[in-house]
Amino acid sequence: MEELILQLKNQIIEALNLEEMEPEEIETDAPLFGNGLGLDSIDALELIVLLEKNYGIKLKNPAEGKEIFKSVACIAEYVQQNRTK
Amino acid sequence: MISAISTNITSPLGMTTEQNYQAVKSGCSALTRFEGKWGLQEAFAGSLFTDEQMESMMIDGFTRFESVVLHSVKEALTHTSIDISSSRVVFILSTTKGNVEMLGGERSTDYGQQTTDYGLRSDEAEYPGSAAKLIASALGITTAPIVVCNACISGVAAQILAQRLIDGGVYDYAIVAGAEVQSKFIVSGFQSFKAVTDEICRPFDIERLGLNLGEGAGTIVFGKGEGWNLTSGCIRNDAYHLSSPHPQGEGYYLALQGVLDNTPLATLGVHGTATMYNDQMESKAIQRAGLSNTPLTSLKGYYGHTMGAAGVIETIITMCATEDGVVLGAKGFEEIGVSGKVDISSEERKTDKKAFVKMLSGFGGCNGAVHYQKKEVPSNSPIRGGFVDTKTSVGLKVSHSVKISSKEAFVDGVKLETTAEGKALLKELYKTHINDYIKFYKMDILTRLTFVASELLLKAEGSEPKECEDRAVIIFNRSSSIVADKQYYETIKDDANYFPSPSVFLYTLPNLTTGEIAIRNHFYGETSFYILPEKNQKLMDEIIRVSFQDKKTKSIIAGWIECPDEDNFEAELNIYNQ
Repeated sequence: MEELILQLKNQIIEALNLEEMEPEEIETDAPLFGNGLGLDSIDALELIVLLEKNYGIKLKNPAEGKEIFKSVACIAEYVQQNRTK
Repeated sequence: MISAISTNITSPLGMTTEQNYQAVKSGCSALTRFEGKWGLQEAFAGSLFTDEQMESMMIDGFTRFESVVLHSVKEALTHTSIDISSSRVVFILSTTKGNVEMLGGERSTDYGQQTTDYGLRSDEAEYPGSAAKLIASALGITTAPIVVCNACISGVAAQILAQRLIDGGVYDYAIVAGAEVQSKFIVSGFQSFKAVTDEICRPFDIERLGLNLGEGAGTIVFGKGEGWNLTSGCIRNDAYHLSSPHPQGEGYYLALQGVLDNTPLATLGVHGTATMYNDQMESKAIQRAGLSNTPLTSLKGYYGHTMGAAGVIETIITMCATEDGVVLGAKGFEEIGVSGKVDISSEERKTDKKAFVKMLSGFGGCNGAVHYQKKEVPSNSPIRGGFVDTKTSVGLKVSHSVKISSKEAFVDGVKLETTAEGKALLKELYKTHINDYIKFYKMDILTRLTFVASELLLKAEGSEPKECEDRAVIIFNRSSSIVADKQYYETIKDDANYFPSPSVFLYTLPNLTTGEIAIRNHFYGETSFYILPEKNQKLMDEIIRVSFQDKKTKSIIAGWIECPDEDNFEAELNIYNQ
């Protein structure tokens, strides 16, 4: 799980152009949206692409992302249960 | 005051305005479901030209996009006697993505009939200014064309530019053509935004699922005289978000306020894309503006969203209907699904009023409105609504200026100390002089360049950021958003690695540059983006000058922002005061 969390943090930094950020600066349980990293609706769409590209998970409805993208820990749990690659 | 002398609509519903109007009036729509088109992995519904229609329009040596524009403009011109070779005639092209299907040879994937060799001009064929120049030249127009590239409000913004240039005495006639052809590039981008549905769209309906894209061209030839007068126009920004509309429709409301007067309206032509957020926003703004009882005209159920053509096509159809004494039924609408109070119906209704407003809203937070009124005799009354009398020409005064190249940067003529070059120079300037806006890292190179230049400019001015409606942002360039276009194309070109990026697609709209400045500084004023075939300071000055016709605009951040590749760019941005 720790490995997956680190991998996700690196992928998030790359996908969302968080150029100046290191993986350790993203708290595993902290909210990604709102006050967290200041992400918005476009970032949420980009996270959907990230899940499909790297883990073969297709989210048809962007609203599903609301629960999944709460924190890196939530994403990791979802990926572990649903990944197809 | 300017009037529409002649029009054309070229669309899957017909090749003339009359054919289109009759088709719409009788409830026809060309919206169809497509599966596997252009190799797209998801189905979509859209209004696309058939191969036969496209073949009938294709002109040797011209692309699909250029051929459609030429068909529309030529047909419109057959109803006029103006000398288009005159130095008093300007060609204004409205489009969001023009020839983008030329990227990577994508054009050859579906329309197999094309045999034209584009090789000689392939490098720059994707630039909308190049297309405009070729079209203008083929038509025999001798003045420099202007491309309006203001996302989905382009068609309305182009009409406003025509009004300003004619009322400002720069030209006597303006040929405004709005056009879009669809491609894998555009459809995949909207799909990545989860904004497209594969069902027929349902504007303002409780069960609306998203938009349908459409192809087409519309042309309005403007001059002075009686008939349908473009009485006023207004562009305002939400200053809220690049892709989500303001929940209360702030910019939309302000644009609408900018054109309303006491003339009773036959109808308000809405944008009505049938996305959840757009239609909801419009309903709130319409209620705020006190137009809850004005019948709405919603045309996306007939044409889909024709993007750069939408403002022109939908204005012409609304004009025809108002002339005909009817408000057209909103195809696709059944049960109200917005919370603002609006008057919309799927049934055709009668009207005896002879004025209407057409609205559009687009990415980058921009909103546009035009107000038309039928006048039987030429009016000598002062121009009203959002505009002041234009003959009182405004002198351009520059208070501050910023110049950035890929090697150095100057503020008010003073060179800044820098060590980096190219893309890294922008990052250095950001970290040294700004460093408090994390969104900088999400921007594409064109937007980073524009953003850094605007920040340096505003710091030189020394003003504190405050909400305002009296400052406009107007950007010109040549290569549009070519860097982002190529980056986005990389995410879709390979079927085995097909992951369209919504954040990259967003920046393939060059007017995002103006939206970022509006959001950062809470500027609710006009935001506009123009593309020219080449840098033309005289023409840029004229456009900036006539943009002060908006009576609320007191200052304009404007200039040339050119970025053909990531390490080769130039910016020259000024603050102009009235």
